[in-house]
Amino acid sequence: GQEFRFGHCRVQGVELQKLRKAFWTVKDTVQAQDHNTSVRLLRKEILQNVSDAESCYFIRSLLKFYLKTVFKNYYNKTTELQILRSFSTLTNNFIVIISKLQPSEENEMFSIIESAHRQFLHFQGAFKQLDTDAALTKAIGEMDILLTWMEKYYQ
Amino acid sequence: HIGEDASNLLQHVKFQSSNFENILTWDSGPGSTSDTVYSVEYKTYGESKWLAKEGCQHVTRKSCNLTTETGNLNEFYYARVTAMSARGQTATMISHRFGLMQDTTIKPPDVTCIPKVRSVQMIIHPTSTPIHAEDGHQLTLEDIFQDLLYRLELRDNHTYKLHLEGKQREYEFVGLTPDTEFLGNIMIIAPYYSKESAPYMCRVKTLPDPTWT
Repeated sequence: GQEFRFGHCRVQGVELQKLRKAFWTVKDTVQAQDHNTSVRLLRKEILQNVSDAESCYFIRSLLKFYLKTVFKNYYNKTTELQILRSFSTLTNNFIVIISKLQPSEENEMFSIIESAHRQFLHFQGAFKQLDTDAALTKAIGEMDILLTWMEKYYQ
Repeated sequence: HIGEDASNLLQHVKFQSSNFENILTWDSGPGSTSDTVYSVEYKTYGESKWLAKEGCQHVTRKSCNLTTETGNLNEFYYARVTAMSARGQTATMISHRFGLMQDTTIKPPDVTCIPKVRSVQMIIHPTSTPIHAEDGHQLTLEDIFQDLLYRLELRDNHTYKLHLEGKQREYEFVGLTPDTEFLGNIMIIAPYYSKESAPYMCRVKTLPDPTWT
């Protein structure tokens, strides 16, 4: 079957199409709440600067952030917006991906880890510059950008 | 700047896209009159500057072709319309966030159906799009949707139904009865994005069998 290949990390058992369908059902609802069209958190420059070798470390940081910060704090909104089912699909699959990522922690990987973390910090920095609710809504609304980037590593 | 209640002059600003031809459309509101004029701006999501769309400034029609301006498969876009009534009222309304890959629909394919004595051949022609690769060559739907496939069905007037499916562009339904009418349905499918075109239909009649006379 298909798997993710983030650098040397392999992740099987996740159907990216299911994630895309789950997001597709909430996309218009969530994106309509994002009134700041001039700011993009997952900017092209960030995503383009992540090399294949760095991708495992970058996706791990990003998905952890989505779980621990974005999804956790957006949960109440999902019931209000009646998007809980799709939201759970996305959350559960992110947990599976993170649990299966086994990035190497060896010394020679230090510069790669550092570089991947820098790209993540660019994203996190943009997130922190916004008001919390606006940042949460924007991060959720940008999951099509995240899924599109993840597609490159799905084979 | 949003004028008074925007929906009084303007409604339903949205992108309508098929085969990556991206048209912005909108409706007038109850407060607008035939001399209300509209102006369109667009931008890439994440940019702050709105760009005026040439050719769609102070127009009375309610559509604007933004295909050229919104042609990057990896980008997301917004457009907004400003309505100005003769009495000086203005209203601005913004579209949803538009992404080509997820928002475009697929038109029926272009197919040549060729009847023979005991078979019907179907040749599906490639569908070009207004999207260009970095080297400038025009992309087809097959280039863009990596998992694109074709689903073909052939029915006679009763209950007889045949199916074929695949990525190639030439198919032949064989073992048919001569001198009989059949209806062909051919669709394009892009599974990953859950896209399915409306069917192209062709009605054909197999040729009479000369040995039967």
